[in-house]
Amino acid sequence: MRIINDVIEQISHTNLEQDTQTQEVLAQELDKILDALLTSSEDISAAIISSVDGHSKAQRLEADMDEHRFAAMSSALLALSDNIASEGGKGNTENVLIEGTNGKIFLLHAGPKHLLTVFTHNCGSLGMPLAYAKQATEQIAALMEVLAS
Amino acid sequence: MDKIIFAGPVGAGKTTAIGSISEIPPVGTDVACTDESAQIKEKTTVAMDYSYITLDDGTRIHLYGTPGQDRFDFMWQILAKDGIGLVLLINRDHPDPLHQLGFYLNAFADFIQDTGVVIGLTKSDISDKHDISKFQDFLYERQQIFPVFDVDARSEDDIKVLVHALLAVLNH
Ligand SMILES: Nc1nc2c(ncn2[C@@H]2O[C@H](COP(=O)(O)OP(=O)(O)O)[C@@H](O)[C@H]2O)c(=O)[nH]1
Ligand SMILES: [Mg+2]
Repeated sequence: MRIINDVIEQISHTNLEQDTQTQEVLAQELDKILDALLTSSEDISAAIISSVDGHSKAQRLEADMDEHRFAAMSSALLALSDNIASEGGKGNTENVLIEGTNGKIFLLHAGPKHLLTVFTHNCGSLGMPLAYAKQATEQIAALMEVLAS
Repeated sequence: MDKIIFAGPVGAGKTTAIGSISEIPPVGTDVACTDESAQIKEKTTVAMDYSYITLDDGTRIHLYGTPGQDRFDFMWQILAKDGIGLVLLINRDHPDPLHQLGFYLNAFADFIQDTGVVIGLTKSDISDKHDISKFQDFLYERQQIFPVFDVDARSEDDIKVLVHALLAVLNH
């Protein structure tokens, strides 16, 4: 939770009325979370944090990947998954897994208004990348809560 | 499978219209708005609305609503595939609805060419800002003579009229 303490530290020096400053702090912190995620596992090749309504908030995507498209596509996919899970009596979506022939992609909620999409190389086991991604979503959720309060 | 697409800008009433005529609780994908559209409405569609109606002859018509924002244009492609026609809803209460009409007619130009379209001017119950003749003139200038109706998206009758008009256009 070091990141969160950093944020509380930083915004206590900032006038919260100044929305742009808050946004800057937010962007920096989200970047840090993504950097930590990408260095945590060699299997993770790219990631993007977006809002539930499909806006990109921070990304570590490959050069030819359009962040706006991936943000919008992620929100659409996760929204449909939530419907299938709840209508099928399976509760909330823990994650959505796409098994591509050249690697895997998973999507997770990160608090009530954000989500995280993670791209992996053709790795053997999904366990570690998923665990690190889950950890990142908790950090994102906590960060958003601090900023909203 | 007979499938109709509902398109148009954010807040035009696509989700509402599908809900108005739906025989089942519609499938919805509305999530919280986190951007400036939060001022217009709390929730916005990010993937699709889905429902169906059954005609008197027993034909089932599947209804697919699109997200309004063009960042979701990939969903427009996905949802329009194999569709038989388009219901284009335009919010009459908007400051520049003709611009919006032009934008969506262009975005769905190929689909409209292959199938057909009817236009519903929503929120006609709360706005008389723009006369229906303005829309007809606009279409005439574009040489696109499509049926235009004043509707309240919350009204089952109004939306049924739109759907039946579309089916009539398609049968020509
Ligand atoms: N009075 C009135 N309200 C409408 C009409 N159509 C939509 N609304 C309202 O406008 C808001 C946005 O509608 P929605 O169906 O979510 O729009 P969408 O973005 O096109 O799906 C909702 O609060 C609706 O109740 C209409 O024809 N008349
Ligand atoms: Mg909608």
